[in-house]
Amino acid sequence: MRDPETATERQSSAASVGVAGVEPPSRRRSILRPIASVALVLLAIGIAWQVAKLIGGDPWRYDDFLGTGIAFHHNPPLRVAQLSDRQLPHLWDIGAALVQPVQRGAQQSLGEFLVGAALYTWREAIIGFGLGALIGVVLASLFVHFRLLERAFVPYVIASQAIPIVALAPIIVVGLGRGIVAVVIIATYLTFFPVTIAAMRGLSSPDPRALELMRSYAASRWAIFWKVRLPASVPYLFTALKIAATASIVGAIIGEGPGGVPEGLGRAIINFNQQYITGPEKLWATILIASLLGITFFALVRVAEALVLRNRQRVDV
Amino acid sequence: MTNTSAGTAVRLADVEKSFAVQGGGETVALQGINLDIGAGEFVSLIGPSGCGKSTLLRIVADLIRPTSGTVEVNGKSPHRARLDRDYGMVFQAPVLFDWRTVEANVRLPLEVMNVARSEREQRVREMLELVELGGFLRHYPHQLSGGMQQRVAIARALCFQPAILLMDEPFGALDEMTRERLNAEVLRIWARLGTTVIFVTHSIPEAVFLSTRVVVMSARPGRITTVVDVDLPQPRTEQTRETDRYYELVTVVREALRGRLPAGAQDGPAALDGHPAKQRARAEGGIG
Repeated sequence: MRDPETATERQSSAASVGVAGVEPPSRRRSILRPIASVALVLLAIGIAWQVAKLIGGDPWRYDDFLGTGIAFHHNPPLRVAQLSDRQLPHLWDIGAALVQPVQRGAQQSLGEFLVGAALYTWREAIIGFGLGALIGVVLASLFVHFRLLERAFVPYVIASQAIPIVALAPIIVVGLGRGIVAVVIIATYLTFFPVTIAAMRGLSSPDPRALELMRSYAASRWAIFWKVRLPASVPYLFTALKIAATASIVGAIIGEGPGGVPEGLGRAIINFNQQYITGPEKLWATILIASLLGITFFALVRVAEALVLRNRQRVDV
Repeated sequence: MTNTSAGTAVRLADVEKSFAVQGGGETVALQGINLDIGAGEFVSLIGPSGCGKSTLLRIVADLIRPTSGTVEVNGKSPHRARLDRDYGMVFQAPVLFDWRTVEANVRLPLEVMNVARSEREQRVREMLELVELGGFLRHYPHQLSGGMQQRVAIARALCFQPAILLMDEPFGALDEMTRERLNAEVLRIWARLGTTVIFVTHSIPEAVFLSTRVVVMSARPGRITTVVDVDLPQPRTEQTRETDRYYELVTVVREALRGRLPAGAQDGPAALDGHPAKQRARAEGGIG
């Protein structure tokens, strides 16, 4: 155990580990404004998408354009391969694919199927997210309190993220067997890192005088951790948890392939990838649902952050 | 705890502190410090930057250890005194926790010390009444002014009824008006609780107005040059700041800080009557 006296000196060393991406959180804004701005950006992307197709896509042949009864025939002046209907389907075709049956003769629509798959993947991701966050906080707590551990293991924590997850995933599956456990571990693997780094920074963020103050109360190390370090780290944690939320979903999707879990989005992506030539809309629809899942998870963490930090002063670092 | 309680609160004998300097060598932060502070006294430490007054306070608080010499706090080692929660501490910055309400900030030491829940609430309330913040229990620190935040810090330092209050330039960051108001408040609290106060400051008027004794220090190495007895009558009020004796003592302390009054501080003031330094004291008001 290191003395709290020396603990104050090492603030800078923990901060230097902090990756540029872990910025102190900006606090309390209206929830509606970011939602509106996201919607606006999505709208702009949609418009750009369709305008591109208008300029360089395949010919538009609509006798009844989107149910308006208007005939619309248009021959784009340019022909760009990347903007063809196969590469970049019309947005309404992607939308239409969502309400069509997932397979010929199936009861379930593609949308229903994908939402089900997304919920399944989310379940894995949430477990991985929770485990990763827990491991991250525990590791950071150890590193902040035991300098030897920090010196010994932090380089490996960083190196762990240099291994491509697609290379590591099959190894994890071989080790743990096919199934949801392997998928959860892969999601955990992508989650714990940002949380570790941010928590290290957050746990060492208290003012040195705050630690002296606790020392003057003859507070135990545990009390200092529980009453000062951990609460002080919460804004930092949320910054990392927002990154971890989307990372955990990416991890789960990647893991589902080698993990042999057929119910989630990972397998859907692999399947629709194979059917891309005949039905590109299905893969695009899957991408859409996967992104929506990531955004939803992120937004939920953001809402939790706003609730938990609602009374806090802005954190200056 | 009363002002008249007998005994020595803090005893410093031949205390020395040196710090290792990067690249070899060391600086002597404190040298030959001998000082006894009686229970119930209000002692200010004043001196230029680098004279080691904050270091001295930290040694008493057992936040750092002296290189040599003897330190006793309430007749115990500083370490024992810290474990016994014999002192409360106030820094220049309030160091409040932004996730805790005013009430919860004051309660923090009581939580750490495992004081019973019912007693906690009562003491927190009492202390916040004492610093006249009874109406701000549920506020968050950032909703308060700097002066109010510092009063919360004082309430927090006093809520576990320590025998000694250590204050490290507590009002250094506040404007003059707020500082004077808080000076009066600290005196009122001191009179009421009888806590021994050791008060580090840059401000000569503040030191003279508050203290029973002013310890004047010089830098490189940090030493005590003079100890000025402040015989202004208690209780001190805003009128005290207007008296001749007050100005005399301010002058004495200022001259001591300039190294012009190496000895005989006690009989100095009379000789200084009508001295031009007295007018300067009015004009300058302080060095900080």
